[in-house]
Amino acid sequence: MRATIPSVPGSRAWHGSAAGRLEWTRWPARAGFWRARRPWLAATVVLVATACFSALVQGPQWRESAALATANLAFSLLFVFTGLMVGKEPDQRVTAWALMLAGVFRSVDFIDAWNGLWPAYATVFGGVDRVFGAWALLRYPNSSLSVLHRRYLIALTGWMLAGRTLIAVTSTARWNGYPPSSWWPALVPDEQLSDTLNYVVHAGEALGGIGLIALLVIRLTRTRGLDRIVITPITVAGIAAVIATITSAAIMAFSLSGTPNDAYLIESLVDLGIPLAFLVAALQRLLLIRNVTELTAQVAAGGDISAVRHALRSVLHDPTLDLLDTSDSSLRALNGRAPGRMVSYIRAGQGAPIAVVVADPVLARYRELFDAATAASGLALQNAQLQAKAAQEKLEQVKASRARILEAELAERRRLERDLHDGVQQHLLSITAGLTAAMATTADPAATAALSEAREGLRAVLAELRDLAHGIHPAVLSQSGLGAALEGIAERLPLPVSVTGPPRRLDAAVEATLYFVACEALANVVKHASADSALVAVRAGESVLEMEIADDGIGGVPADGGHGLANHGLANIADRVSALDGEVVIDSPPGRGTRLVVRIPCA
Amino acid sequence: MRVAIAEDSGLFRSSLALLLRSLGAEVTASVASGAELLTSIGGSPPDAVILDIRMPPSFSDEGIRTAQEIRALHPDVGILVLSTYAETSYATQLLETVRSGVGYLLKDNVTDVAALMDSLARVAAGETVVDPAIVRRLLERNRKPSVLDALNERELAVLRHMAEGRSNLGIARELFLSARTVETHVTSVFTKLGLSPSDTENNRVRAVLAFLRSAGS
Repeated sequence: MRATIPSVPGSRAWHGSAAGRLEWTRWPARAGFWRARRPWLAATVVLVATACFSALVQGPQWRESAALATANLAFSLLFVFTGLMVGKEPDQRVTAWALMLAGVFRSVDFIDAWNGLWPAYATVFGGVDRVFGAWALLRYPNSSLSVLHRRYLIALTGWMLAGRTLIAVTSTARWNGYPPSSWWPALVPDEQLSDTLNYVVHAGEALGGIGLIALLVIRLTRTRGLDRIVITPITVAGIAAVIATITSAAIMAFSLSGTPNDAYLIESLVDLGIPLAFLVAALQRLLLIRNVTELTAQVAAGGDISAVRHALRSVLHDPTLDLLDTSDSSLRALNGRAPGRMVSYIRAGQGAPIAVVVADPVLARYRELFDAATAASGLALQNAQLQAKAAQEKLEQVKASRARILEAELAERRRLERDLHDGVQQHLLSITAGLTAAMATTADPAATAALSEAREGLRAVLAELRDLAHGIHPAVLSQSGLGAALEGIAERLPLPVSVTGPPRRLDAAVEATLYFVACEALANVVKHASADSALVAVRAGESVLEMEIADDGIGGVPADGGHGLANHGLANIADRVSALDGEVVIDSPPGRGTRLVVRIPCA
Repeated sequence: MRVAIAEDSGLFRSSLALLLRSLGAEVTASVASGAELLTSIGGSPPDAVILDIRMPPSFSDEGIRTAQEIRALHPDVGILVLSTYAETSYATQLLETVRSGVGYLLKDNVTDVAALMDSLARVAAGETVVDPAIVRRLLERNRKPSVLDALNERELAVLRHMAEGRSNLGIARELFLSARTVETHVTSVFTKLGLSPSDTENNRVRAVLAFLRSAGS
């Protein structure tokens, strides 16, 4: 039984937890036998009972061919044991019964040794163990038989029972190698007809065997992922068993061997491959679960969701598996794509789901593996989330601290500029004015010359001081804004620069940064670009401020800004801009000018 | 000449007053802010006022705002704004706010006593003065295309001298031309800049503004 598991959060699906405790809320209810409190005790009782039954039904066979009887006993025990094992797997109770019945009926096939009524029974029903075996092979590991498989089993059973009944009613006990004292339904004994029927029926059964091989091979090619790993040994064992059965039937039909018991013995031994294959499949599962350890190691190193998804795909052998975070968009996307898929939620402890696994429903058969894998993924994701959160917090701190440093630097520059302007500059100016006044009061040429020289010296100092103050922080930037300050830069440059200022005043730190960037960039234009003209344009969008500085020079500035001394200016620009969480883009094809665009997010 | 001073730096203020007095000017008021200046010149306005551009209370552009108020109250008082900032934007802002009898001079240049007295006389006479250092920088620049491209070299020289605040007669003396020729050039400048030839005095300011704007942008 497999229902399509709904895709809506909170539905009854698998509820994983990062702590490794996963609940399977829709796990099929199991019959009392499988839920026995002491399963090993129950299994032992069943096996002992099977052994006793097998030994008993074969009875005289032990004298006739102890080897064959032993092989049959082993066959029955191994099949029943395998059935008990397979029955523990989800949805495999039917397979388990088929295996156990195949095992039990193999011994019953040899009940003819008791003579009396039994040779006739064995002649008619001697193939039912094979039907049960075929059933188990076709059923596992699916939860139900396909229509084709069901029809095949019905046809095989019908052919076998009808054909063998016809053989029985057209023959006598003696013709079949039994003592005449045995009971026999010899309704219309006709040796030739019986022989013909014998060939036809067994040829039909052989064809049925070949059909089974075909079905198994077709199914193998159609399975994928974990199922394929599990099915392969079963298919191989099934094919071997069919070949052995056909061979033994052929040996008997054409009497190629002296004693049919040897053929039976070989067939029995080959058939043991089937339960062994089922056990190998179970072992495969254990090995696969061990792979989860690898997954854990793989993703524990702080894998993001795509790394975890990749690991899950590989360890669960499901390339279609998807792992989504629980953001709204991905859950909406999930609603459209989940039909027929298995959806399970990975939770961190008791909290909300942190991820959703959308996987092939065949994985429902590999619960332990799936649970272990998702639990490991949950831990890895939680770990990654915590790391990302810590990194994000750290980043925010660094950003805030950079912004504070920038503001502090700006404030300091403004203070310095004001101090120079209001202090030293005014002081020097007053001295200059005083000297000029003194010059007006004296007619002494020597004194006038000395005063004049001192005054010229002061004027030079004043000019330098004004440039210095402007370089530290242009007062025009604070007072009249970026546009006027950019005009100021343009005026001082030896090439025409078209300036388009922002339409409004901007944040002081942003204005200072853009001003600095423009100074650096235009200085580069003057020094390196051999340009005839340049432009500076500031555009203010709703969420981003953009400043473009372009020239018509030689271009060829490396896009990454390079690391040489010549690009020290560009590195400075990048530093300043990134302090405001902005970005710098340089487009500089050789011979076609340079275009530098700075984008700074604004609230 | 009667001059009033508003300058927040006491040292420079007293030196400037000393200088002006030594040049024969009468300093009617010497105060530290625009507001005080407005109060002190209320009774008997001087011929010209000297304003610092950066004064209390906000230390930004009080000089320009005070100039605007003075012009509103006393249309005939010449206004000379002194600044340490060699920024075209301040000069443009000032000339746009106060249309006539106004000047923008760098403080460094007050030591050029002749230029200082000349500028004071010009603004008192209703003319416009822009610091030669700023004008020079604008002219030296490699300009981009502008309305000024229509002017020939001679007209540009006339306009430059107009910007520095010279009268037609002064320009004629500077360029060694007859007053009549200068007048022809001036009219030609006005026409090329798209100004009506009738309103001569206002046109001088507009022409200078056009000069500052096209050079500065």
